[in-house]
Amino acid sequence: MKKFLLFIVKSLLILLLTMCLLDALYTLVYEQNNDRNKISYLYNSKDKQYDVVFLGSSRVNNHFVPKIFNDNGYTSFNYGITRSRLEESALMLKLMVERNYKIKNLIVQVDLNINTNDHSEAIRSLFMPYLHQSESIRNHYKDIPEYTKLLYIPFYRYLHYDSRVGFREMYFSAVHKKTNALENDGFNPLKSHSGKLIPADLSKYYPKRNIAYEEIRAICKKNNINLIAITTPMCMTTINRDYFNHINAIYPEIHRFENAVTDDKYFATCGHMNKAGAIEFTKVVFNAFFKPKSHS
Amino acid sequence: MFFNSLHFAIFLPIVFLFYWFIGNKSKTNQNFILILASYYFYSCWDYRFLFLLIFSTLLDYFSAIQIENSQTQFRRKIWLWICVSINIGFLGVFKYYNFFISSFTDLLNSVGFHANPLLLKVILPVGISFYTFHGLSYIIDIYYGRIKSEKNFIDYSLFVSYFPLLVAGPIERATHLLPQLKVKREFNFEKAKEGIYQIVWGLVKKVVIADTCANYANEIFNHSNSMNSLSLILGAVYFAFQIYGDFSGYSDIALGTSKLFGIDLLKNFNYPYFSRDIAEFWRRWHISLTTWFRDYLYIPLGGSKGSKWLKVRNTFIIFLVSGFWHGANWTFIAWGFINALYFLPLLLLNRNRNNIEEFSLGFNFNSIRILFNILITFAITCFAWIFFRAKTIHDAISYIKRMFTNMNFSEQYLAIERYSYEIVLMLLVFVVVEWNSRTKIEPISGKYSWLKLGLCMIAIVALGVFSDYKEFIYFQF
Repeated sequence: MKKFLLFIVKSLLILLLTMCLLDALYTLVYEQNNDRNKISYLYNSKDKQYDVVFLGSSRVNNHFVPKIFNDNGYTSFNYGITRSRLEESALMLKLMVERNYKIKNLIVQVDLNINTNDHSEAIRSLFMPYLHQSESIRNHYKDIPEYTKLLYIPFYRYLHYDSRVGFREMYFSAVHKKTNALENDGFNPLKSHSGKLIPADLSKYYPKRNIAYEEIRAICKKNNINLIAITTPMCMTTINRDYFNHINAIYPEIHRFENAVTDDKYFATCGHMNKAGAIEFTKVVFNAFFKPKSHS
Repeated sequence: MFFNSLHFAIFLPIVFLFYWFIGNKSKTNQNFILILASYYFYSCWDYRFLFLLIFSTLLDYFSAIQIENSQTQFRRKIWLWICVSINIGFLGVFKYYNFFISSFTDLLNSVGFHANPLLLKVILPVGISFYTFHGLSYIIDIYYGRIKSEKNFIDYSLFVSYFPLLVAGPIERATHLLPQLKVKREFNFEKAKEGIYQIVWGLVKKVVIADTCANYANEIFNHSNSMNSLSLILGAVYFAFQIYGDFSGYSDIALGTSKLFGIDLLKNFNYPYFSRDIAEFWRRWHISLTTWFRDYLYIPLGGSKGSKWLKVRNTFIIFLVSGFWHGANWTFIAWGFINALYFLPLLLLNRNRNNIEEFSLGFNFNSIRILFNILITFAITCFAWIFFRAKTIHDAISYIKRMFTNMNFSEQYLAIERYSYEIVLMLLVFVVVEWNSRTKIEPISGKYSWLKLGLCMIAIVALGVFSDYKEFIYFQF
């Protein structure tokens, strides 16, 4: 029995060693890579200066064309990430402050995403490789139930989020396999739809106070960032467009742009515009808040 | 409590320590600790079904004694039928009632009678098919006088409820397991180490092979209408590896766990995908169920004795019942039927016992022939698995039709953000490892066992699927 217990102890030590080594290896790889997604790009950068930064979900990722701002003399980047919620946008902003970014204007999408205070598991996972190194990320997640395990059990964060930051993603990061996430200064255009748009139904959406949005507001105030919170376009057949009125009832400062683009030809789906729509919309937003620097 | 859960990782060492350090004074203590552990293990799913398990145990225990003590053949038969009917009755109510009622209603509706079926909203008690077959084999063996009835209730209860095999087998025989429970087990280091190796290899099969394949197979089967021929072929292959990794992985963990307590369970899998024909496949796949049906259904029906027609009839009965055992759905029956069709030529040509001896490969024509036969057997097995995996017969037929008519073999990007071919390399490595260790129980033991153990741990940790937890497939049966 003594021999067996020794065998078990040795096996457990091998397991522990394996997990420590893999944790170190994965973290090292992720820390060396800045071209797989916007979070790795953000984490592995420092001291960037932007006139305008865009934050939000796919409705930012697919809708804002930084080139239009850049052509008019404003440095800008689209940090919108498909599937992210305001919770992740808030953390992105915290990370930007931590990485010593100088941002003058932040355009943040606040529309369908204030329907919930929940988070996105898929996007949360992308922050996990930097959990040990980034104080902002640690503080942001210190109240989640898994926090202790994620922080103290070696490799647990990569096990828990294996579909996003597991072996496959680590391998692609190690070989620097390109993605299109950072092309066009972060803008990812969608193709036009074929056939009729299927109307989006917002009748089960209820805007509510959003902790993450209020956090973003507070960070901007503290760091002298001009916050521009906006809604983004939905196709005209959207059911219960009244939803957007309720947003203003909670947060009057949110600028309404859900009707800024109306023609179906500008949409890929009811909630997402195609490239032409994105260009139209970006121009509308630019003209609403900015003036071309060359003309001023 | 699943074998691949943290709960089980805590439960097992506790039971192990109690068993060897507190219960090691006598066989009764050891058995008592295992029964308590088993009942706790089972009640973790749903404590209410524990009463069903205890009732089934009591029924079989007393019926067996009554059969043995009966003075006349008539009384023996009566007790046998009471016991068998109640056991099958439970299985029927929990597993098959809704199927029969809805099938009957569909039939009535198709001929113009409208009926509203009274369907039961019952959850299938986990492992019911397994422990019912356990009990039935015991009762039938008693009836035929193959064994003596067990008088010690604790020993018998453990035979039925022993936790490593309780929820998904292997389906044990009283002749094999009970004698081991009648003696005090002494700790054997080599056996326990072998058990650990088997558990680790079972985990590799489950979390690395089965669960990875499941992600792809689910995606392909659930969206088969938009898949091309290549993806559909891969989907069937992935499911073949999923179900093999899942069930044989489970069996390995069960057998390995049992070895930690000094108890050997029946082997359930013997590298089935290296079979040279379908008869050999069925001698290597889910062995405990196949031999159960052979001994308690096929042979009583006449087996391979009698006319050709009788043999064919018995073969079809056994495969159809085997399919139906898996679940109350026509897809399982179709799966059984297809396997019977595969078996038929071998039976008619008296070639069903051709490939009994082990084989080795070399650089000769015979080896090419063997490899070709293995590939063909694997291909037709994958084809049959389509019916097993599909939700309905219609889905299975649509899947197959599209697989043969789409004829597009280009790479396809799936909604899970992966290409459909991505895990082929991993499966090839798995096949090579299995091939090289096909004469052993698992590939870890032998030379460089520490290195191999380390590699398996790396595979589990780095390649395993943990975020999208999947139950063992056979728990639903």
